[in-house]
Amino acid sequence: MLLTPEVLAILVLNLLFGLFGAVAFLLSLKIFLKWDADATTPLQYTLEKQSFLAATIIKYIFSVKVPLFAFFVFTLDKISGVITGAMCAAGVVDATQSGMYLIALKIINLYLFASWLKLHSIDMSDKNQPYTKLKFGLFLLFFLSLLLELVLDFRMFGGIEIDKMVSCCGSIYSSSSTSALSTLFKIDNALLLSLFYGNYFLILLFFFLKKKYLFGMLNTLFLPLSLVSLILFFGTYIYELPSHHCPFCFLQADYYYVGYFIYLSLFLGTFHGMMIGFMPKVENGYKISLLFNSLYVILLTLYVLFYYFKNGVLL
Amino acid sequence: MIRLVDVVKKYEVNQSQSVVALDGINLEIKKGEVVVLRGSSGSGKSTILSLIAALSKPTSGEVVVGDERISKLPDSFASDFRRNTIGFVFQKYNLIHTLSVEENIILPLVPINLDAKEIKVKLERVLGMFHIAHKAKQLVKNLSGGEQQRVAIARANINNPQIILADEPTANLDAKLSLSFVEIVKELKAEGKTIVIATHDPLFFGLDVVDREIEISQGKLL
Amino acid sequence: MRSRINLYIVEYAINSLLRQKYKTLFIGLVLTLLIFLLSSVFFITNSMKHELQATVDALPEITVQKIKAGRHDEIDVDVIDAILELNGVESAVARVWGYYYFQNAGVNFTLVGIDEYEEQYKKSFVAAASKLDFTKPSMLVGEGVKRVMDANYYKEYFNFIKPDGSLKRVDIGGVFKAETELESNDIILMSKESVREIFDMKENKATDIVVRVANFNEVATIASKIKLLYPDTRVITKDDLKISYQNIFDYKSGIFLALFTTALFAFFIIIYDRASGLSSEQKREIGILKAIGWRVDDVLREKFYEGFVVSLLAYVVGITLALAFVYIFHAPFLREIFSGYSQLKTSFALPFVLDMQTLALLFFLTVPLYIAAIIIPSWRSATLEADEVIR
Repeated sequence: MLLTPEVLAILVLNLLFGLFGAVAFLLSLKIFLKWDADATTPLQYTLEKQSFLAATIIKYIFSVKVPLFAFFVFTLDKISGVITGAMCAAGVVDATQSGMYLIALKIINLYLFASWLKLHSIDMSDKNQPYTKLKFGLFLLFFLSLLLELVLDFRMFGGIEIDKMVSCCGSIYSSSSTSALSTLFKIDNALLLSLFYGNYFLILLFFFLKKKYLFGMLNTLFLPLSLVSLILFFGTYIYELPSHHCPFCFLQADYYYVGYFIYLSLFLGTFHGMMIGFMPKVENGYKISLLFNSLYVILLTLYVLFYYFKNGVLL
Repeated sequence: MIRLVDVVKKYEVNQSQSVVALDGINLEIKKGEVVVLRGSSGSGKSTILSLIAALSKPTSGEVVVGDERISKLPDSFASDFRRNTIGFVFQKYNLIHTLSVEENIILPLVPINLDAKEIKVKLERVLGMFHIAHKAKQLVKNLSGGEQQRVAIARANINNPQIILADEPTANLDAKLSLSFVEIVKELKAEGKTIVIATHDPLFFGLDVVDREIEISQGKLL
Repeated sequence: MRSRINLYIVEYAINSLLRQKYKTLFIGLVLTLLIFLLSSVFFITNSMKHELQATVDALPEITVQKIKAGRHDEIDVDVIDAILELNGVESAVARVWGYYYFQNAGVNFTLVGIDEYEEQYKKSFVAAASKLDFTKPSMLVGEGVKRVMDANYYKEYFNFIKPDGSLKRVDIGGVFKAETELESNDIILMSKESVREIFDMKENKATDIVVRVANFNEVATIASKIKLLYPDTRVITKDDLKISYQNIFDYKSGIFLALFTTALFAFFIIIYDRASGLSSEQKREIGILKAIGWRVDDVLREKFYEGFVVSLLAYVVGITLALAFVYIFHAPFLREIFSGYSQLKTSFALPFVLDMQTLALLFFLTVPLYIAAIIIPSWRSATLEADEVIR
């Protein structure tokens, strides 16, 4: 068990999320089962009031979770100083069984909560509030996903043993190791890059054609493709080291915290893109989506170009 | 302009008991009309005002204002409707005493985040209209009763609403100020506003400016 | 646009806070006090950690101690020769040192022996070795030691009491300074001969042996080889020390935090209670706002702005006060808890350390908690029946 102040802060906040989330869950359940927009019963009026509480709680959890996610990675980085062998967050993630899934789940939950808020705002701007039942029904599922994350968080920090030797990121994110990620390294760079850029140009194409479903699908596909190509190819240019593939190290000060910018633009770009495809009545957002996706692509491409101009070769 | 159809409003006292405030009200008020709702306190006249303003929802029946079934609106739409269409004048003015005259008057505009210019235009219009421009920067608590009344009416008119609802507007005023309120009602009527006054003050009974008087007793129109 | 920050509502929120002076003041003070306490503790531990890390950094890679009956015992000087024969070992030096309890002042001094012609295992000792007079019993003392001795009228020399009760007089030859104050503060440097005499140690014994390794990557291998050669020793690497220091401090502040969470919980209840109690005046006010066209969301937003203003103000004030308390007034009372042995040590000043991460940590431990506490009360007041103002 690792009880640093940072971990304790995360656990205390998790406890709050769990508690308040449970309140929102119960309210959502009630609303989901008994909501009747046409009724004029006291029950319906009470539900209308309670829907504000549930929505406020969900907003609160999301708006704390976003900066807390950055703090979480920050904390892993700090703990890496305590754990033998780990040199950055990646090592700490590796130190526990569920570390990698936890990070993935955290990202998925951010997308889920953000899309819930989007649906909420669409619902609230319609006189008939047509999605009220749907959104609270969805939250019932999202809460379970949140709960799973909280449990994994607890297990991860509870499961870290300080004396245990763990891998540093160099060995996790390299083709020679046997971790699950290493299978990814069998993908050919040329294939990966053509997929990545191809996907981007398709997004660009459907931006002009305004086909919302295809635009949304392409953005969904773009997220994993971007992450994989970031680890396999672009990361090495940020570090200027052919063997350094870590997706966490560039969050550190040595790389001017560029990671936060990279991940934020990827999130904003793909999130808005997905919303266009999958949310009812979302028409604007094409521009924001394209802007941030382009920022992401241009920034990473520039890293490669600069390296090429400086050194005359590619890694 | 305003239509109440079979409106019933019950208030829950506790789990098993409820009080019937309005019992099957049917009422239509035309655009530009000045209507006085007469009745003792507890007769249900204030409840009618709060239903017209979409401040509360009927237990059954329908409230329609313009083309809008406001009894069905969710909170955010009801609030927008109230801000744009309704001007409320309360019994005790209901001003916030630690704010200045100006700040009280622009309170309805605060949530919509207009830019300073637009606010200024709207503010100056009502300051002039109700003759309180010279007190604009003062705190409300330093004003006389009549001035406070004018501030309250100015606030009700900041968005130039089509409907003015007044709840016992003269209950706290002396005879002279009550008469000046009647003058203000005349001015507002001349502008074509629909005005509903809930009162038991005999001053309003049989006035020229009043188009119709409606008597309410125990939740029913007489 | 309703999603933008609405300055008019912010203004209204601040005005509303001023209207309820006493309530605001009470909550603000409690929150400020909590943040002040918490940040003082973090600043103290951070500074100490910083000092200790710097001290550890100056140490050689490996320390070898002899263990007898589970306790630290004196080690044979001969061991050095065997260690020097291992590949990769740059140097190995026997250290002679120990704690001397000075009863009159109730403090411990750290006595460290050095040799004139030996390779010094700490950089700061090199200058000291040239300054120290090895021809007679003489010593260099840290600043803290100097103060204690001055206060007890030992200006020129000091009398050490040997284990057999006899006195050993040593002259004060000057003041010893190192990179960090924590390192040099309680130290007395003298010749190994004098230290051995004061502690009654034999000529061929030492307290422990420190080993330098040329290549960082070989430390672990060499440490295990020494352990194999001498099974009765404890071999400590610099990394082990760093981690255990970090753990000691994290553990200490962890325990403090565990206690602190109880305080946070109490605070949560207080805020919840305070925010729930609405006067009829406040109820009327919310009724007015809704009657003139504020949405439930607008009232909620106003309440949250109030919360932000109070908690951010408390955050800034609390941290500023803590900075002054720790770094200008040297944290009276609180510091003793964290130095632990400080009762037995001479006092020293804390170096200034302030990083983003600590600020973020303080933020996450207080502001979201405060906001969480006002969610339900704010919602209650925002959804009050508005028609009460006209009934």
